[in-house]
Amino acid sequence: METPANRSRISLNPLRPLLRNPVALKELRGRMRGPRAFVVLTCYLIVVGGFTTLLYIAGTAATYNTTGEVDGGTLGRVLFGSVVAIELFLVTFITPAFTAGSISGEHESQTYDLLRTTLLPERQLVFGKLFSALAYVFLLLLAAIPLQSIAFLFGGVDVEEIVISLLVLLATAIFLGNIGVYYSAMTHRTLRANIMTYVTILAVILVTTAGAVIALAIVEGLDPSTSSSGSEWVLLVARGIFVCLNPLTTLLSTQQYLVNQQTLFTFKYTFTDGTTTTLPSPWIAFTIFYLLLSVAVFFATTRHLKRIEG
Amino acid sequence: MSIDNPEIMETPTGEAVAEAPSLTEVLPELPTVMDEQDLIIETRNLSKRYGRLQAISNLNLQVPRGAIYGFVGPNGAGKTSTMRILTTLMKPSGGEAYISGYSVVTAPREVRRSIGYMPDFFGVYEDMKVWEYLDFFAACYEIPEAQRPGLINDLLELVDLAHRRDDMVDKLSRGMKQRLCLARTLAHDPQVLILDEPASGLDPRARIEIRELLIELAKMGKTIFFSSHILADVNEICTHIGIIEAGQMVAQGPIKTMRQQLMPHRVLVITLLGRLDEAKEALLHVEGILGIVDLPPEDGKIRIKVEFTGEDLRMSEMLQALTSKGIPVVNFAEESSDLEAVFMKATKGIVS
Repeated sequence: METPANRSRISLNPLRPLLRNPVALKELRGRMRGPRAFVVLTCYLIVVGGFTTLLYIAGTAATYNTTGEVDGGTLGRVLFGSVVAIELFLVTFITPAFTAGSISGEHESQTYDLLRTTLLPERQLVFGKLFSALAYVFLLLLAAIPLQSIAFLFGGVDVEEIVISLLVLLATAIFLGNIGVYYSAMTHRTLRANIMTYVTILAVILVTTAGAVIALAIVEGLDPSTSSSGSEWVLLVARGIFVCLNPLTTLLSTQQYLVNQQTLFTFKYTFTDGTTTTLPSPWIAFTIFYLLLSVAVFFATTRHLKRIEG
Repeated sequence: MSIDNPEIMETPTGEAVAEAPSLTEVLPELPTVMDEQDLIIETRNLSKRYGRLQAISNLNLQVPRGAIYGFVGPNGAGKTSTMRILTTLMKPSGGEAYISGYSVVTAPREVRRSIGYMPDFFGVYEDMKVWEYLDFFAACYEIPEAQRPGLINDLLELVDLAHRRDDMVDKLSRGMKQRLCLARTLAHDPQVLILDEPASGLDPRARIEIRELLIELAKMGKTIFFSSHILADVNEICTHIGIIEAGQMVAQGPIKTMRQQLMPHRVLVITLLGRLDEAKEALLHVEGILGIVDLPPEDGKIRIKVEFTGEDLRMSEMLQALTSKGIPVVNFAEESSDLEAVFMKATKGIVS
């Protein structure tokens, strides 16, 4: 049995310093207590596993090649891509649900004022809430790695792709978590914080997808005889921005460059006039951008909480 | 301590206190404030305005170190606003507020270190165990992990919840939750406790338990600043009171001084078996009597209320005047000028 005495023993757990954060410790204790955490994890794995099975059945039927054999590489990539897409979808919905109630919930349980009169720094409050929510999301992502790895049985997928997909998913979760905590700090109602978080996420998804599609359509419609490389640069960067703001398009184009050009960190772009240029792969831009944005949102949240009611 | 009928405590008339003397017995043990000038909480012309509403205006609060200070006033008088400013949760619109010499505006961290705050709601996490709740707040007060288990046990012992250490917080009764909250405010051993309506919503037994706990804490050297609209609570445990109405302090000081200032005359209730007119006639010859009022009879016995000024000697003279004539006196007792009267006199009912 856990007693306070043996809890204070020196531990080799690398997460130990993080658990010094009282909020993180309290939230994790609360989250992992009772059946809820295990039910959510089980449901998540059933959903991801169920879809993978369906895709496997559908995929084996659809990927027979001309010699009548299953094209393992294609099937592997389809399965892998689908699992990542489902994970992305679930992370997008689960992360806000875990974070949008974090600060507003303290108002609702009337404990916010108590926390504010303690010596707990605002940044520790925000970090503790974020860490505990994200730790659980990370657990979900890690738990699905075996499902992603089924693709290895068929080939066509490398370990690098799994690492990159995990990085993009983590960056997505970190950003969404920060957005959730931000709105949770801005409003005292969890419901309102949830709505605001989901609306923001939906707006980001719609705008970036639409932008990427439009920019792509314009690029493909370019007439090599009339376009200058200058205007093509503008379009390229514009499309790049939209692609790199959306995790789904980021993953798709990263995989496309990986398959077509066999490069992980960069890709070559050929202009309509025949010249080429080398650019960083979308996942790098995506991860850096959203991690920086997350840091900015984190500080905005902390700043807001530091304000004393006037 | 056993109190068979705690409700009696709510009406501190002479008779009721005589029947349930337990709390008044505790009173003489109350710590005496050593230095009235050594202020641990002080506000100077404190003001708070919400839009057009002036919640607090030019409030000068003076709480000496070691006092049990009852902050009394009708609902909406500005008690909670004052407390939120003192606990650094809200900025004042004007004036200054100091706790242990630290300004609540410029040194909020030092102020937070010296205060324990209990709002007028529980503020408990339902999905936690009792010891986890205290452990969490102790950690928030930067108490090292190694010291916390011992501290938690001590705190639970103090508020008599040691046997509920591993229970979930939401299984506790209201009174137990309130005691747990009080234990929380003590986690970092603050000098000052700021308690907003600590007894509201509790049943009589729980209310008495909280009162006893406050007296215990005062003996430990804590200054206790609490708000209440229940005058009986204030009357029984406070060394000092401040009466606030419509955002202004109408009266403030040691409770004894307040009683004397606001209720300079004393009241005596005499119960007789008969010969009322003779009794009145006899009493009128005693010096210092201001008036005699007939009270409704109780169990067929005649009762009169005598208002007088002066020392105890006057009472002795009155009793002698009655007995020397052979008037059948069955009860002769001074009615302690209860705070309700002081309060009514001080506030004049501007708000309520």
